[in-house]
Parts: sequence; structure tokens; C-alpha cells
Amino acid sequence: MKRTLLSCLITAVAIVTLLFLALPVIAIFAHTTPAHLVDQLSNPVVRDAFVVSLKTSVIAQALIVLFGTPTAYLLATRRFPGHAVAVTLVELPLVLPPAVAGIALLAAFGRLGLLGSTLDALGITLPFTQTAVTIAVAYVASPLYVRQAIAAFEATDPNLTAASRTLGAGPTRTFFRVVLPLAQGGLIAGLALSFARGLGEFGATIMFAGSLQRVTQTLPLAIYAEFDQNFDATLAMSGVLVLISVALLLGLRIGLTWQRSPSKRSLYLFGPSASG
Amino acid sequence: MSRGRAISAVAALTIALSLVAGQASARSSAQITVYAAASLTDVFPKIDPAQKYQFGGSNTLAAQITQGAPADVFASANTTLPQQLFSKGLCSKPVVFTRNTLVVVVPKANPAGIRSVYNLAKPGVKLVVAGPGVPVGSYTLQILKNMNLSGSVLRNVVSRETDVREVLAKVALGEADAGFVYSTDAKTVAGKVTVVKVPAWAQPKVQYGICVVTKSGDKTDAQMFVKKVVSKRGQARMLQYGFLPRVKKKR
Repeated sequence: MKRTLLSCLITAVAIVTLLFLALPVIAIFAHTTPAHLVDQLSNPVVRDAFVVSLKTSVIAQALIVLFGTPTAYLLATRRFPGHAVAVTLVELPLVLPPAVAGIALLAAFGRLGLLGSTLDALGITLPFTQTAVTIAVAYVASPLYVRQAIAAFEATDPNLTAASRTLGAGPTRTFFRVVLPLAQGGLIAGLALSFARGLGEFGATIMFAGSLQRVTQTLPLAIYAEFDQNFDATLAMSGVLVLISVALLLGLRIGLTWQRSPSKRSLYLFGPSASG
Repeated sequence: MSRGRAISAVAALTIALSLVAGQASARSSAQITVYAAASLTDVFPKIDPAQKYQFGGSNTLAAQITQGAPADVFASANTTLPQQLFSKGLCSKPVVFTRNTLVVVVPKANPAGIRSVYNLAKPGVKLVVAGPGVPVGSYTLQILKNMNLSGSVLRNVVSRETDVREVLAKVALGEADAGFVYSTDAKTVAGKVTVVKVPAWAQPKVQYGICVVTKSGDKTDAQMFVKKVVSKRGQARMLQYGFLPRVKKKR
């Protein structure tokens, strides 16, 4: 009797929670007809914002992978003085309010910032450029990739790495043929989360890069700018972002389940990529 | 989970939910919520410190009121937006409560060497303006049109901000070379920016409109607030902050 009451209660709470989370997302699509939303996608503001978002996100994520992967590998495999500080530094943007991130980027890379005069001497001005958007996205989204990458590298079996080395593969070859394939699932998961977070970047971008159509106005900035002008356009852009996020998370779930099945896993270890 | 623990968990949940609900609806008596243009950020709390204020781009605030935001009074940096709300039955007939003028602000160091509005057409100048829907943004466009500078100056726009204070901040920080703001905004950061005047003949008609929101739960106090703003004392405060009398003096 007691048990059933409790389980009923838990179910009720769970339903309330799920409704609370689902309702805003449903509301975006319930506000207008799908045809109307699709119509808005040809609106130049929406199209331009989509292009700016995609371009800056792709470049930012490429940079995150290029710099984040070796950093994560180092932090996962070596212990050195200041290790905890380094990990904290990597994680900090995750908990920093975006507005603070924006101010911090201005204070560092702005015209009057710490590196401002150095950059100025090189003829580089960052604020109000697309590069500034990319920097803001990379700064804010990087922890999601790097944290996941550290965890993935830490989870790789050291015996397999050691075996590879004793079988004559050098450290570089071992990294690319053994460690990377083993960590692949975690790395892709981190990248997907980082991409989704970067696409939604708002606070740091508006402070550091400003907002100009075709140059620095990303989807979230366009949503904010169009809020009072064209509510339908903001709904359409919000719908696009929701769909991308859902697709990323869903893809991630499916991908991870596929990865976990042992028969597929062996493919990574002894398949053509590992033996070649 | 023991029954005692379950009960206390439910109790905690109930308390938390009721707190949220309370926050959403509770309004301490006589305190009203004023949605006001960003340029009024400094002066309104001086006219009446007891009220709650939400400052921002008038256009954003108007959109929020249209979407049902719990505002009692709407004070806009133009008369168009409150007039639009009035014609939709969302607020009372707006009255003009002050006027303003626009200036160009440049950082103290003035890296682009801006000395007149015409200098803004120089290639490479980083100009920040407010978005076209924001009142100060549309006033900016009017000035440039009046001075026949629309094409050449708008090419130099590097960012369209969401309200006048954002424009001011970007210039005061030294990130932008110049920006169009109200003369009253320029006064708030006098140590950081230099003012470049916009000629009187190019000035648009900048009138601020105020109205009581139809859905307000406390219309009496909302009307009291409007009265306070247009009262002699309220107007004296506005003048002290650099705003112009609500009625233009006849010469």
C-alpha cells in the first residue's frame, strides 16, 4: 500500500517535470503553422543569421577539436604540478555567466584590452568581426568537448596502449591507431554537445562581437533583434535551433548505443583502421 | 524511503512550488512596475525610488507588453510605440512627458578623429547605432537622411545594438569609434566620451510618450506615477538630467 502510494507520487512528479520541460518546446511549434515557419526561412534576416551561425560554429568547433584534443590527452594521461588548476581553467567557461565571458573577452582582446595594443600593432582589430563571434563561441563551448575528451581518454584501457607499444608501434601511431579509436565515442559526444552549446551562444557574442546582419548576427542574436519586429521570424529561428538540438541529442543517443554493443566495438580495435 | 522522509520531501516540494507561484503573482501593495526606455535609467528612479523598473529598448518593452508582460506603466522614447499599443487597446492614450536631442559620442581618445557628423563617412570608421526598430535607431536614420549621409555613413556601421545604453557602452569602452545616443545618455559617462553635436536643423522630433497599461492590476497607482512624472517636481528632475521640457517653448 505504502509502496504503491509512493510510486504513484513519483510518477506524478515525473509527469509534471516532463510537461514543464516539454511545454515551451511544443509552444514554439504550436504558435504558427508549419507552412508559415518554412515560409520564414526564406526571410533574408533568418537566412543570413543561419549562415553566420553555421560558419562561425564550424570554424570554432574545428579549432576546439584541433587544440582541445591534445590538451585533453595531456590532462588525462599526465599528472603534473598545477594539474588541478589546468582542469579548472578548462572547465571555467562552462559555469561562467556568458555576460562575464563577454566582458572578459573584451578585457583581453578588445581594442583597449590586455592584448589590444599588441593586436593593434599587427593590424588586427577583433571586436565587431566574425572572428570575434568565432572566438566567443570557441571560448564558451570548448569545456563541453574538452571535459568529455578527458573522460574518454581516461577511460581507455592502458593495457591496450602498452600492448601496442610492445608490438612495435611508436607513440604517435599508438595514439592515432589505438587511443583515438577507443576514445572516439566520447570525443564525438563531446563535439555534439559543444556544437549545440556554441550554436546557442548569446551573451558573450553580443558583448564582444556586437550584432550586424550578415557579419556578426548569429541565430540567437537575430532572435533577440527580431523579437519586437517579426515574432514569426523569431519562432522560425527558434524552431530551427530546437530541431538541430534535438537531432544532435538523438543522434548522440543512437550513436552511443551502437558504440556500446561489443560486436561493433571490436570493429574499431581490429578493423582495417587498426591493422593498416 | 521511509514515510517520514517521503512526507518531508513532498512538503519541501510544495513549499518550493508555492514560493514560485507567489513570486509570479505577488505584488506588494502600491508598488507598480514601470517599463521604461533605457535612456530613462538614471532619472526615473530619482523621480520615484519606490517603484520597480524594467529598462530596455522601447520596442522590446512594447513587444513584451503585447505578449502580456506584467507592466503597469509604459514610458517610451517615442510616441509611435505607445500609440500603437493604445490603438490595440493595450494601454491608455499616451501623453508626451519629455523631449530629447541626439548627439554623436566618441571615446575620449577619439582614435578615428571624429569632429563632425560628416567625419563619420570616412572609410574605416567603426560606427555603432541602435537597431532600426529601437527609437534611437530610427532617429539616427532620420538624422543621416536629413544630412544626406545615409549611404556613406551606414556603410561604416559595425553593430546594431538593442538599446541606446548598449551603443553608449561600446563607445565608452573604446571598442567603437563613434555612436549615436541621446544627449542625456552622453552626460552619464562624461569622463569617458566626447560629444560631437548634431546640427539643430538635422535633429528629429524626439518626444517621449507615457501610458498606463490596460491590464495593470493597479491603475490608480499607475496614474499617480504618470502624474508624478509630468508634475512640476518630476519635470524639474528631468531637466536636471538634461531632458527638455515636454512642451516646446514658443518664441
